[in-house]
Amino acid sequence: MLPVTVMHQKTAILYDGSFEGFLSAVFDIYQLKLDPFSITKDTQALLFGNQMVVEKDVAKCERVFNGICAYAGIATCDMLYHSFLSCAPNIEMDIFRYLQMLFRLKRDVSGMMGESSILKVRQMQRKVTREAHRMLMFIRFEQAKDGTYFAPIAPQYDVLKIIVSHFKDRFNDQCWVIYDTHRDYGVHFNGQDVALITIDNPSFNLENGRLPESMVSESELEYQHLWQVFFKQIAIKERKNVKLQQNFMPKRFWKYLTEKRR
Amino acid sequence: MELAKKIGILANAAKYDVSCATSGSKRKNISGGLGNAFSSGICHSFADDGRCISLLKVLFTNQCIYDCAYCINRRSNDVPRAAFSVDELVDLTINFYRRNYIEGLFLSSGVVVSPDHTMERLVSIAKKLRIDHKFNGYLHIKAIPGASSELLSEAGLYADRMSVNIEIPTDNGLKFLAPEKDHASIIHPMLYIKDRIVANKEERRVFKKAPLYTPGGQSTQVIVGATNETDSDILHLASGLYKGANLKRFYYSGYLPTNEYDKRLPAVAAPPLKRENRLYQADWLLRFYHFNVNELVDAAHPNLDLDLDPKAAYAIRHPEIFPIDVNRADYEMLLRIPGVGVRSAKMIVEARRYRRLDSDNLRKIGVVMRRARYFITCNELPSADVVRDYQPDALKMLILQNAAAAKPQQLTLF
Repeated sequence: MLPVTVMHQKTAILYDGSFEGFLSAVFDIYQLKLDPFSITKDTQALLFGNQMVVEKDVAKCERVFNGICAYAGIATCDMLYHSFLSCAPNIEMDIFRYLQMLFRLKRDVSGMMGESSILKVRQMQRKVTREAHRMLMFIRFEQAKDGTYFAPIAPQYDVLKIIVSHFKDRFNDQCWVIYDTHRDYGVHFNGQDVALITIDNPSFNLENGRLPESMVSESELEYQHLWQVFFKQIAIKERKNVKLQQNFMPKRFWKYLTEKRR
Repeated sequence: MELAKKIGILANAAKYDVSCATSGSKRKNISGGLGNAFSSGICHSFADDGRCISLLKVLFTNQCIYDCAYCINRRSNDVPRAAFSVDELVDLTINFYRRNYIEGLFLSSGVVVSPDHTMERLVSIAKKLRIDHKFNGYLHIKAIPGASSELLSEAGLYADRMSVNIEIPTDNGLKFLAPEKDHASIIHPMLYIKDRIVANKEERRVFKKAPLYTPGGQSTQVIVGATNETDSDILHLASGLYKGANLKRFYYSGYLPTNEYDKRLPAVAAPPLKRENRLYQADWLLRFYHFNVNELVDAAHPNLDLDLDPKAAYAIRHPEIFPIDVNRADYEMLLRIPGVGVRSAKMIVEARRYRRLDSDNLRKIGVVMRRARYFITCNELPSADVVRDYQPDALKMLILQNAAAAKPQQLTLF
């Protein structure tokens, strides 16, 4: 008898760009025994070959998520989510290769840095968490007349969702808005809950993220000035080292930094 | 005096204090309160000298009854003097904090009237922040040498970290430059705080709700280059205090000619930044790389090599322990390889469980191969190019050349 071989055809998977959508796609790939050569949200990406569109499905997503948790723990889920947020080219395929390894060996595989996709996932995770940490460092709030504190951000990766809990814990007795001006969405905390928002006609200056003078609270400009004085005086002139300063605080953050405004 | 002027004077007066860490404390916010501590610390900005700004670092007042030669705030200096009121400083801290400018307050002061009088003011600010304003951000409080233990005890209940500065690394040096002070009066509060921290840890093991006492530990700083001390003096002091007083950090501050008219001080053109940098590197080796101070400096080498980092210098002096096989050596030995840091040593231990590592794997992990290659063997390398084949000086030249080649200088036009 001749051996029966199933010819797996290489397929391009198209999903909605969300992490849930991606995990649903992983579920379908396993269920339908597909062999993907790309997983992408970009409809223009494919000119020829097989293509399959995957819908987001909460139940499927949850099963994959629980599977990852069961074999490797919640820390791995976080790591995969963070590297996903990098939106690096083909990061979906690297995460998929990672998951293949994980589901085959049924254990934590994060130490297998000899595998290029595992190393890539870990490296992207580091970049994303680093950018998130920089938001904790460099976010600057301005107080509006109604007491709400407003901060614009423009991070390299889409990290807003993973920094919210930090600010919710820390500034629990004040209302605040953190707004991603690049991706055009933000988070509003009303003293109780956080909600995602988009601002249609922004009243803040799109260039430097500042609220107009008529909208800021009475003492806001005074505190900004005091902070600028402090920033200037705390430096030791004989040790001036602009390069070191820029290493730690890259120029792309300066436009929203109170102390770097003129 | 207007507030902007005050903050200018009092920030300027505090800028020589190096400490800015906000790590080591996990203080949580309470309901209706403001702020928390982030255990690994957060820097919020970087000043023009490249140093991190994480705390509102100001003096409560820059008036002082002492006349220490190295200090800009000494009583014989003719500089503008100012003092905050308690409410001003509390209000500034809260409003800077709410705007995410800072992690908290660094509370220090010149000594006015008496150590107890000064310490009492500092404690009252901390108390107001913690109790009246439910502020749970980071508080670094300076212990004023000579203050009563009751006040130190109360300060520790509000502080996340405390510090007493030694300033001059040798007792003789200190007595020469600051005749009113000696090492014993500085070490005394340090040991008192240490005992309280140790006792508090024990208390909290038994009784979880016992109030925290200085959860972030304590730190100190010395000025480097104001007297003729050697690196060996400094590092032995640091290592002794890390062990004996459970210090979290020991800061090194390159001497700047602040009071040039005082002939007891050396005439220097610029702060010894390179030396300061080497001391910090050595400090890291003590704290994170399991080095012993005698391995870094000894009678034959009382000062660190300024050209070469202390780990590479150690490796060149000890060819007998190299080359190290990265696929077999213990974690402690991996840490001794120049070009391998804590992160890459941990990754090597993790990754080699799955496969033997070759130089390409090592490079991807983040090992600096142009430095490490002389000190390791891995899968395809026991190369001919190892430390044993070189004279120490030749290897040093080679490492320096490699480092220079990796950092090409910009060509000058003329």
